[in-house]
Amino acid sequence: MRKAIAPIVALIVAGAGLAAFFALRTSPEPVTSTYFLMDTVLTVKTTGGDAATINEHLHALASDVDSMTSYYNAESQTVRVNAAAGKGPVSVSPEYAALLKTAVAVEAIDQGRTFDIAISPVSSLWGFTTKDFRVPSAKEISDTLAYSHSDQLVLSDTTVQLRDSRSRIDLGGIAKGYSLDIMEEYLLTVTPQPQQVIVDFGGNLLLYSGGRKHDWKIGIRDPRGQGIIGYVRSGDAFVATSGDYQRYFERDGKRYCHIIDPSTGYPGTLNQSATVITDIQPMHGAIGDALGKVFFCSPAKAQRSLFQTVAGQGVVGVVIVDATETQSTLGPINFVPTAAQ
Amino acid sequence: MKRGDRITGVVILAAVALVIVFWIVVHRTPGTLAVVRVDGKVVATVNLTSPEVQTLRITGVLGPMVIVADGKGSVRVTESTCPDQICVRTIPARSPGDQIICVPNRMVITVEGKGTGIDALTQ
Repeated sequence: MRKAIAPIVALIVAGAGLAAFFALRTSPEPVTSTYFLMDTVLTVKTTGGDAATINEHLHALASDVDSMTSYYNAESQTVRVNAAAGKGPVSVSPEYAALLKTAVAVEAIDQGRTFDIAISPVSSLWGFTTKDFRVPSAKEISDTLAYSHSDQLVLSDTTVQLRDSRSRIDLGGIAKGYSLDIMEEYLLTVTPQPQQVIVDFGGNLLLYSGGRKHDWKIGIRDPRGQGIIGYVRSGDAFVATSGDYQRYFERDGKRYCHIIDPSTGYPGTLNQSATVITDIQPMHGAIGDALGKVFFCSPAKAQRSLFQTVAGQGVVGVVIVDATETQSTLGPINFVPTAAQ
Repeated sequence: MKRGDRITGVVILAAVALVIVFWIVVHRTPGTLAVVRVDGKVVATVNLTSPEVQTLRITGVLGPMVIVADGKGSVRVTESTCPDQICVRTIPARSPGDQIICVPNRMVITVEGKGTGIDALTQ
């Protein structure tokens, strides 16, 4: 009997040691901060490093982008460009000019049929800038559409001009993704490096683990039901979703979402959501954000050929839920639908 | 089999059971909780596993809001003093990570708890 006591003690000690190991094996606690800007919520969750300082700095960077691009802030470069529409070129910062060039380059992928920063007079017609919603007449839409395309834009490295005095630009469709670009650029320079940073800017994501190559599980919101339609596994990435389910109004039982199809002047109805995943490279946050609208406003056949065009430009994959709630993916991404789990 | 071996066997099982119990205690899934924040500060929490209908009256930056947990695991905003009513139209929140946001009131409801295993939600 006495002989049996030694192994008993050894086992209990080993068991307790093992349990303590698992209990204490936790990484540093993440620090989550929430901010309100660009008419949405910015949530930053940082693990490791000087997390609280990193969160504050990321918010400051997003605020800078907001001050530069805002459609409403009287000091912004967008407001200055719009105020000078039809009058002549306006001096802008090199960053602002570069952002507009990126926007116009995405528009050019599809000849401006599915994304256009100059569509904003039509959005205003529907009340999306004032939240005083209404359904405009077909004539109002076609009249407004005539001067609501980027062919009204004249760009140089330091100036922007809108030819028609009624034309306006709105960078709301690209500014959140661009903010994620600026944030990622900053994160690369931080010492000590955080282990993980998850930035959620109005549903657009930056997933950053530096050199750690974290395998992320990115849930995609169900556009009609509760919860998620599934998740995508990916390394560090930018993720942008354009959907019809957050900003919309209803008239006579019909849904009118805030994403205006630039080819028709009417809210897009072909899809319920389009999620674009881009790799971590300069401006790919902005490009992914804009491409979300491109895929959202495109029919299935066009989506496939568009994907062929952008696949070599940092787009890892696209997940689409069309108007009939059919899910599809483009690209070699690992999408796990909720139904299959 | 000797008596000592039998005891050793029982003790091994007991030790394994101890580790498993400890593991579960440390890693147990917390009850699903809806956390209501205004301007980043927690103003209320709602236990979504409770079978009772719970009505919360909170004050957002703009004015009063009413939040209702239906007793079946979902929570939603039923009334809000905001111009666009996006929060009221948002699908009820239920799964961990689900959010209901009212930008004018600077109010965010976040469902917390383990379960979905996702890192982030795109929407």
